Amino acid sequence: MNTKRTMTLNLTDQEMKALEDLSNQKDLSKTAVLRQALRLYQLVDVKLAEGGKLFFEDQKKEKAELMVL
Amino acid sequence: MKTSVSITDLATGQPVEAVLFDDVTLEHFLEAQREWRPVVVEAAQRLVKAGEQEYPRHWHWDWSTKEADLKVLAYGFLGIAYEGRLQGLLKLETAGRSGRIDAQKGKPLVYVDYVETAPWNIKLITSALGTAPKFGGIGTRLIEAAVRRSLEEGFKGRLGLHSLSISERFYLKACGMTAVAKDPAKQNLLWCEFTPEQAEKFLAGGAA
Repeated sequence: MNTKRTMTLNLTDQEMKALEDLSNQKDLSKTAVLRQALRLYQLVDVKLAEGGKLFFEDQKKEKAELMVL
Repeated sequence: MKTSVSITDLATGQPVEAVLFDDVTLEHFLEAQREWRPVVVEAAQRLVKAGEQEYPRHWHWDWSTKEADLKVLAYGFLGIAYEGRLQGLLKLETAGRSGRIDAQKGKPLVYVDYVETAPWNIKLITSALGTAPKFGGIGTRLIEAAVRRSLEEGFKGRLGLHSLSISERFYLKACGMTAVAKDPAKQNLLWCEFTPEQAEKFLAGGAA
């Protein structure tokens, strides 16, 4: 594993609640949740830069394209 | 990361020390394409021509197409080399994948996207070419390293993969993974999954 560096993160109560909920649901530490978020964000960004598109498909198999900045 | 791992020299039956590493580069992909692929294709051709139903299904894999994936945090690569020669490669994903076993649905896991052993270590291929396999244990060492990555990521050893039909026995019997279901979204390949308990047992060497 690469050497890790520490940073301080300031979150609102709502953001912290969301992080704690995800941490519980996903059986992950809060750090691991944020690491997941960063990886997914970067993955989506790379795929969009390559010309890919990001869709969510509902149960009716109808797709809605997401805009990701 | 570079670490020493034990593989078996099948000519002598003795363990030898190989190098497991995660700083995989395009050069490794090119080495795999240059040194492995012609051998895999040659063996596949011979087996197909002989009417065999079992032949290496990964004859068309191309590691060099994964160059762009090297810079993506969600992807990781592992390799094993012995005396400077590449013996195995594995690509894994550490984000966006979750368990399918009821007890770990929605929980993230390490997904093994590709794992390949050099063709001179695969009995199906060496038999087709009239030679003997050189080294054993490459696939096991790579899967062990992927499980350790799962532990490092906080996934507690959870790991999933789609198995080629010729590899199902390895994942289910030798590794001790759970066969979940054939996946119609992935060429109907079998989805295999490690729970934390199975992963721990596998790392302890108790799965086989």
